[in-house]
Amino acid sequence: MEWNAEKVKETVQANRVVCFGKGSKNQPMCGFTHRAIAVLTECGVDFEVINIFDDPTIRPALVAFSNWPTTPQVYVDGEFIGGSDIVLEMFESGELQKKLQSSAAS
Amino acid sequence: MITAEQIVELVSGGLPGAKVEALDTMGDAAHWRVVVVSDRFEGMGRLDRHRLVMKQLEPSIGDGKPIHAVEIKPMAPSELG
Repeated sequence: MEWNAEKVKETVQANRVVCFGKGSKNQPMCGFTHRAIAVLTECGVDFEVINIFDDPTIRPALVAFSNWPTTPQVYVDGEFIGGSDIVLEMFESGELQKKLQSSAAS
Repeated sequence: MITAEQIVELVSGGLPGAKVEALDTMGDAAHWRVVVVSDRFEGMGRLDRHRLVMKQLEPSIGDGKPIHAVEIKPMAPSELG
């Protein structure tokens, strides 16, 4: 199925935590995607991974939606929070865990 | 090929007065870590900081371009330890 910004929006609203990246949850194919998945796994939350290699229209749809040129892209409660640098930084400061806990409670 | 000096120049072009450091993390001139300290980041959120730095580097990133991957560490002067 063809991806567009609207489908990205639906996906991030239907799933509390979503990571768009290169490769799957069990087989990340990029160091940064691997890092983002490792951080989310460490947080102990359920999350979806969308492999951008599954469909060539995913990447341009993502970029159009978030105005962010690279992957991985992590979304929490429908909101784009960042790529691997930001996610790791937020994890190290405890901010990410807090965000995930509060969104889990709501 | 891109050099640390060229990356520093690119980033500084969009952020006059910033202190920029580029590290070739894998020794292949393709994977970079870029630390940027600028007072423009003061009071600015993470996403906007990254976007500002990425805007400068983006034309050089991707398939067939000199930069394969880049980690960005943007900091405001007040955040330096």
